[in-house]
Amino acid sequence: MIVSWNWLKDYVELKMDPVEVEQRLMMAGLNHEGSETVGDDRAIDLEVTSNRPDCLGHLGVAREIGVLFDLPLQLPAAQPAASGPAVEETVGVRIDCPDLCYRYTARVIRNVTIGPSPEWLADRLRTIGIAVINNVVDVSNYVLMECGQPLHTFDLGRLAGGQIIVREARQGEKFEAIDHNTYDLAPGMCVIADANRPVALGGVMGGAETEVAETTTDLLIEAAEFAPISIRRTARQLNLHSPSSYRFERTVDPAGVDWASRRCCELILELAGGELADGVVDVGTPIAAPQPVVLRLGQVERILGITISAAEVQRILTTLGNEPVRADETSVEVIPPTWRRDLTREIDLIEEVARIHGYDEIPEDVAVPMWPSSHTDAERVLSKLRRVLTAAGFDEAITASLCPPEWGQRFSPWTDREPIAASMPMKGILADAPNDLGQADRVRQSLLPSLLEARRYNESVGNSRCELFETAKVYLPRDGELPVEPWTLALVTSHDFYHLKGVLEQLVATLAPNVAPEVKPTAQPLLDADRSAELTLGNQPWGFVGELSPEAAKQFGLRSGATVAELRIAPLEEIAVLIPQYQPQIPYPAIDRDLNLVVDERLRWSELRATVESSAGEFLEAVEYKETYRDAQRDGADKKRLLLSVVFRSHQGTLTNEEADQMRDRIVAACEAAHGAKLLA
Amino acid sequence: MALGDFLQQLDGLASDAEAAFTAAADTEQLEAARVEFLGAKSGRLKATQKQMGAVDKTDKPAAGKRLNETKQRVDAAFQAAQQRVAAGEQVRRSSSQFVDTSLPGVRPELGHLHPITQTIEELKDIMGRLGFSVADGPEIEDERHNFEALNIPLAHPARDPLENFYLATAEKTSADVLLLRSQTSTVQIRVMEQTPPPIRIISLGRVYRPDTADATHYPMFFQMEGLWVDKHVTMADLKTVLRLFATSYLGRDVHVRFRPSFFPFTEPSVEADMSWGDKWIEFGGAGMVDPNVLSAVGYDPEEVSGFAFGLGIERLCMRRHGITDIREFYRNDVRFLHQF
Repeated sequence: MIVSWNWLKDYVELKMDPVEVEQRLMMAGLNHEGSETVGDDRAIDLEVTSNRPDCLGHLGVAREIGVLFDLPLQLPAAQPAASGPAVEETVGVRIDCPDLCYRYTARVIRNVTIGPSPEWLADRLRTIGIAVINNVVDVSNYVLMECGQPLHTFDLGRLAGGQIIVREARQGEKFEAIDHNTYDLAPGMCVIADANRPVALGGVMGGAETEVAETTTDLLIEAAEFAPISIRRTARQLNLHSPSSYRFERTVDPAGVDWASRRCCELILELAGGELADGVVDVGTPIAAPQPVVLRLGQVERILGITISAAEVQRILTTLGNEPVRADETSVEVIPPTWRRDLTREIDLIEEVARIHGYDEIPEDVAVPMWPSSHTDAERVLSKLRRVLTAAGFDEAITASLCPPEWGQRFSPWTDREPIAASMPMKGILADAPNDLGQADRVRQSLLPSLLEARRYNESVGNSRCELFETAKVYLPRDGELPVEPWTLALVTSHDFYHLKGVLEQLVATLAPNVAPEVKPTAQPLLDADRSAELTLGNQPWGFVGELSPEAAKQFGLRSGATVAELRIAPLEEIAVLIPQYQPQIPYPAIDRDLNLVVDERLRWSELRATVESSAGEFLEAVEYKETYRDAQRDGADKKRLLLSVVFRSHQGTLTNEEADQMRDRIVAACEAAHGAKLLA
Repeated sequence: MALGDFLQQLDGLASDAEAAFTAAADTEQLEAARVEFLGAKSGRLKATQKQMGAVDKTDKPAAGKRLNETKQRVDAAFQAAQQRVAAGEQVRRSSSQFVDTSLPGVRPELGHLHPITQTIEELKDIMGRLGFSVADGPEIEDERHNFEALNIPLAHPARDPLENFYLATAEKTSADVLLLRSQTSTVQIRVMEQTPPPIRIISLGRVYRPDTADATHYPMFFQMEGLWVDKHVTMADLKTVLRLFATSYLGRDVHVRFRPSFFPFTEPSVEADMSWGDKWIEFGGAGMVDPNVLSAVGYDPEEVSGFAFGLGIERLCMRRHGITDIREFYRNDVRFLHQF
């Protein structure tokens, strides 16, 4: 809302510095966006929040200034003298859609002389950026900007049948507005029609055919109240926004409708001459009287934390236009003004008292009681996880939660369901991505595709080292409930399968020293069939790790190979030992033995390790995998050699070489029995 | 020759060498020990190495491996002794080889946390010290938690289809309309529905509004929301907590001012500014929890009062680090990530 400094002076005496006024207004709720000089006037741009439509006119802003500086407000009388016959003899008004139009008033002026507006009026309109057209149109714009009530003037001579019908638009109906564009109307929109056709789009814009022109002599002055939702939908559907629709969307003062109509007629008679028909056609719902509101003075202190005297509370409420009903030592009762429909509750009055009294009065250094706060287990796990992964050289990425449909089709490890579609895509977020993708309108069910795109982007700008991880939610639909949103971890690295697996093992070891992830074969679509695995943690599914297949790399536009993983965070939270318990160190040295075992090619390390662990006895401290060799000539085609080291330690004393040898022999025997393993001496 | 014997020989050699090197008191003694064990022609290590030939071929890998380990052990022991002796004699002559200490060191590759995460961690840390615990909630919400309980009626412009990412759920029959949450205030409602007062929480996370991505907008961003509900929580408490927060974050004494504003879920509602140098900068929106919101979660507005505030993480982070394009956060260029 741009206001003119000179214009405001009509209603309130402005001897103050404009800068001070702007500052006080800002601190009372009308945010000052800026000011500029226009001729000898000052245009002040104020931001008006949606709850304060009363400040969408100069009078409302003047009233605020009056309250803040304790100055009286002078209202124009708006008492035009009627000299013509009764208005009912000329026009009739009918409202067919009381849901879309609450009230419609019409006045008539005959024999006006259309001409230019006087300079004082033209200047004020120019200051606030409104085009100057002719005296009648300018007056209706002037009154709109004076009190915030939109008005429309029709050329009465072009209205067929002397009849105004307010009705819902019909399907396929067309309408040419005063902007000379033709709009396709639809049910739900409110039109003002004469006996034959729509002549205005109610509350949004007038029509070209009945607009006031140089030849116009007789006028119908409309002042009405339209339903906010319908106005908003209409303006949006047609992409036709006007100062009028802006105000109706935010509601107008129902009691101000007639005042605005009279004020408009008063100024037209003054500037364009003519005779005003007697009375007004006023159709619609009666104005609901505002209900009284009680403010208990104790509540002011309870909410604001400061005491404000009863006298000050009463002064503020009264000068804002609230009508005092009753007051005693503990409370006041007032009836809010019709232009403040946002004031219906005690708390609303408390806010009024606070903003006028001044928020600067509220201290910023009261004693706030101490209160315990602690990190949740989930936070602790995430924090450890981030520490391990950054130490392992991974940078943290954050990617968008919506993705193109293709990504979900390529990789969806957590569900077979279709991803949830959003009503519209995230626009502009795939600006860097290959343009063969659809729009980002699916709620993602997996993080990995987003990370691969981030890697592709890094490759494309020549970042050779790109190790990334992300922790975020994925969104998995369910029947009849909100989707589940499991926290998920994804990683991508240039290193091989065993490197990334090692990182994940280290992550688990950091959180739970006695737990190790186990592997199962997997057939996830993006992964190399052999160099990939499903991981489990304590028999719970954890996720997937593997080298990207060459086809997958190509799908995502990657030039070089990568190893990836996607894992659930919840199993980590379950196994995490967040408060480790002390284990005393054994004071005796360990003794180790190396084993070089020839085994079948298909024997898995996990199976051999299990045999070693179960046969080694109580002094086994560790089994360490060293290396795999192959010598087909000596051992046969389907054999391999596993080199491992076993470490023994006793809490009773130093183990001897003989004891170590015995334990080794027992292990070898068990491995031979279970797997046909042969020890190479 | 059996592998076991060979390995035993190696082990013996290693411990003998370590003992001899440790015992050497000066350069001459050390040189004698060196010739004995590491001599190129007739050193003991060389002699043992020659016996490798007699080890069974299948055992060669294991034998070779141990031989290498032994070599390393003996070398390491010699070098340690050499340093010790050299230091003891306070060597006068300089090293024959030039050591260029200006060559770069060997740096470990460290990963970097995303600047958004770093900002969030700092905010959580500060608010934690002020007694606020972190609460989490779903990002896909129903209209009750995103709007109704927050005093945003059906007719409110914030519920417009073009202002939100509404979701097409599988169940067309379901009366529940879902959307990506447009604010973290949803978590307030969920926490208050399940927990009796007092409540002192913050919630942080992703929120969604359908702006087209440009330098200052992104259709997804991060918010922090704070909530404190108890008997006798006032606007003075709100101002004080925000000032403590701002002072902790900026590291020097700052002041907070309130400008009236309007949010459906708070009354009174304010924009909070904090002083930064000689300027006021916008901190975020705040206010006293609207009685309708307290009633919606089953609290008695006559018994308890509370405040809530919210702020955008990206904006704070951008101002702090001088980042001029919000899209940088989600492009994940490692050259960007490595700056923080």
